[in-house]
Amino acid sequence: MTLHAATFGPRGSRSARNGLELLAALTSRELRLRYQGSVFGWAWSLARPLALGVILSFALGKVIGTGIDDYSVFLLVGLFPWFWFQSAVQMSSTTFVGNGGLLKKVRFPRAVLPLSVVLGNTLQFVLALPVLAGFLIFSGHEPRWVWLPGVPLLFVLQLALSCGVALFVASITVFFRDLEHIVEVLLNLLFYITPIIYDAGRIPAGYGWITWANPLAPIAEGWRDVLMFGQWPGVELWASGGLAAFALALGWFSFRRLEDSFADVV
Amino acid sequence: MSSEAQAAAPGTDAVLSLLAVSKRYHLSEAGQWELKTALLHPIRSLRQGRSRNALWAVRDVTLDVTRGEFFSIVGANGSGKSTLLRLMAGLSRPTKGSVRVAGRISTLLELGSGFHPQVSGRENALVNGLLCGMTRAQVEALLPAIVEFAGLQEFIDQPMRTYSSGMYVRLGFAIAAFMDPEVLLVDEVLAVGDAGFQEKCYDHIASLQAQGVTIVMVTHDLGAVERFSSRAALMERGRIVATGAPAAITARHLERLVETSPEIHRALDEQLEERIAASSEDRRKFEEQLEGNPEFHRLLAEKVAREGGGEATPGGEARS
Repeated sequence: MTLHAATFGPRGSRSARNGLELLAALTSRELRLRYQGSVFGWAWSLARPLALGVILSFALGKVIGTGIDDYSVFLLVGLFPWFWFQSAVQMSSTTFVGNGGLLKKVRFPRAVLPLSVVLGNTLQFVLALPVLAGFLIFSGHEPRWVWLPGVPLLFVLQLALSCGVALFVASITVFFRDLEHIVEVLLNLLFYITPIIYDAGRIPAGYGWITWANPLAPIAEGWRDVLMFGQWPGVELWASGGLAAFALALGWFSFRRLEDSFADVV
Repeated sequence: MSSEAQAAAPGTDAVLSLLAVSKRYHLSEAGQWELKTALLHPIRSLRQGRSRNALWAVRDVTLDVTRGEFFSIVGANGSGKSTLLRLMAGLSRPTKGSVRVAGRISTLLELGSGFHPQVSGRENALVNGLLCGMTRAQVEALLPAIVEFAGLQEFIDQPMRTYSSGMYVRLGFAIAAFMDPEVLLVDEVLAVGDAGFQEKCYDHIASLQAQGVTIVMVTHDLGAVERFSSRAALMERGRIVATGAPAAITARHLERLVETSPEIHRALDEQLEERIAASSEDRRKFEEQLEGNPEFHRLLAEKVAREGGGEATPGGEARS
């Protein structure tokens, strides 16, 4: 058994500085714990996208034959951002449920729990970007000027989307535990309806709405446009920006609405 | 019930005001919607969850705690003490009524998480301090004092899984002790830890009170209630049934415990009689033995010379 202390003033008197420092401390703890004691440490975070990239480029590229040029690079450019989103959402879904003791005993800005998980995954993605750039350059896709505005734009969009979805999922999971598993299934489906292993141009007419309804689709296409083809992303990205903003608002408001009952339920 | 007893200490100096506070919990699935029930009977599942399994953990509590008070809350298990403390701390919302707090609150609640066993005591202290609302610089400035108070100088950089439970508690209390609160809420935490450290904790709490910190404590340690608190309340089934002088409240609490539980009553009676019988028998035998032992008289004389008198014959030792 341990004990715990918490100091807080009247609502809102906590400094923003405290919140950010808490977020930073939890994120760094989370990342260090994840690879503590493992020999290759952080390198493991590259293993999942790389392994899946290799196997898919064999199965789909060589065996079935997609007819897409440079298919292995095509896959990697889609898989790295995908795993960022997927792990961020999946891992944060249980952050409130899993920290019941803390929620019951200490008053702190509770949003830091899922957000630190999102941030940890974001950091891993940022660290993986040079590796991805290495693959691109190695396979003959030289760095372009469009990377400079394009990468940060896509990064911010996807970060906003991830934070929103993570907050929403983590908050609802407290009251509806099934969501954790539903999310797992939905993420599997999302992988296939997002243009990661194919490009959006191949989606047959009549299914185009999938791309418009899925905020991740234009982002995935965007990463490829910017990194691989050196072009500015298509107009769909603006729709995705709207959806990302909506997700962020939805996540934040559902969290705010529900956070006061977390301690009663977990 | 006795509503005039509840609204004690009125006035403007109330640091903590509870006005007709009630808290309802939903039993069984505790507010979760079960997918199956929700799908099969969508409306009924919601309605039933709200009415049938409701438990009022705290009922209609009105209470003012004034600045600088040491207020203790006693009561049987499940009487709603901890829930009340959690409401005061703002950790959960009252279902009805309002809680008003003027000042920085620090809670000292016993718990199982918060510290992460895989990281060092230092990092846990840092994260804890941040969780409690301090900035990094503030925690780092306080850290040497915290480590010293907890007596963990050699261990602070070790992972906390290597700590004993006493060390956990010491670090936890030390962090709380240096929080500089205006109101300190304490929940039964001092029941753990060794006696020496417990004493240190009580001393510290008393010194906080001397500095004008308001303290609200939930505990089963009636001795501590009488020793430290300036006012106490008794809770029963979610209600505050009496407030007043600590000695009167603890006496009432014991009385109620005995009244409500015939087993305790009988056990107390029987044990007492048994022990009186046993001790008088033992004592008689022991004294007989002692009287015939010259060594005893020599030791007794020594002891008297050394301490200037005192109790020399504890009864139980003659048993062997």
